[in-house]
Amino acid sequence: MNTRASLAALAVAAAVVASAAAADDATVKKDLTAVIALQGLPCGPVTEVRTLGDNDYIASCQDGNRYHVFVNAQGRVVAQKQ
Amino acid sequence: MNFSEGNRAIVAALLAALLAAGCAGVKQSATPSAPAAAPAAPAATAPPPQAAASPPSSDQAAAKPAAKTAAPEAKAPAKPGVAPPPPSAKAVPAPAAKAAAPPLDLKALETELKETKAIGVMTKLSLKNQVDDLLSQFRAFYQGKLKTTLAELRRPFDLLVLKLLSLLQDSDPTLAAAIAASREAIWGILSDRTRFASLDGG
Repeated sequence: MNTRASLAALAVAAAVVASAAAADDATVKKDLTAVIALQGLPCGPVTEVRTLGDNDYIASCQDGNRYHVFVNAQGRVVAQKQ
Repeated sequence: MNFSEGNRAIVAALLAALLAAGCAGVKQSATPSAPAAAPAAPAATAPPPQAAASPPSSDQAAAKPAAKTAAPEAKAPAKPGVAPPPPSAKAVPAPAAKAAAPPLDLKALETELKETKAIGVMTKLSLKNQVDDLLSQFRAFYQGKLKTTLAELRRPFDLLVLKLLSLLQDSDPTLAAAIAASREAIWGILSDRTRFASLDGG
């Protein structure tokens, strides 16, 4: 009985964490989509993001382009086509 | 109503907010070797080929927008829905606030820009880059180092404001409206050498 309750609680917690992570992921995608558009680069919505570090991402676009988006040493946001 | 002070304050707040927001929490990447290839401001970096003007006075194309400045400025005070009016304070006597008539609640606008969830950190930093680029262009123009006209500089300015508005209008329409209302006031400062110098210098 106890074990079942624990498992249920664990599942709920996992679902909460997963949904929070998904929301976070959506925020990053939206942010990167805006950044790439601001640079005037072709992309469309960002569909996939790989985090390389703080403010350092690989963004995959709906149109197939991929960009390395990061903040360089001069404090500029750079989107480099991969 | 002190328009010039209000205008300067609007621009200062806008730029400061973008700057602060952009820098907030941004750690620079450990990829310094990467060439800063992508120009952050396509519009701002494209130097207009026209060699038309010498650092001019505000009597060029700018004169018109600058002259209009008063109108949006007048709206600005109402704007700051940014300023959170306490809903419960119904009986607050308006006269005192009206006498002071601050054109804009700058602190509130700055805070809104910093904290708006409508724009992500990277986007804020990217916008800040473009604002810096545009200001550099104006600086070079007034120093006579950039051969262009105010009319040409108006284009990247408009583009930048449009970018900002398009980012904000759905998720933060109040802030977008506040910025839209300040647009001509900001241009009025940028297109006036003296006012720009005072903004730029101080």
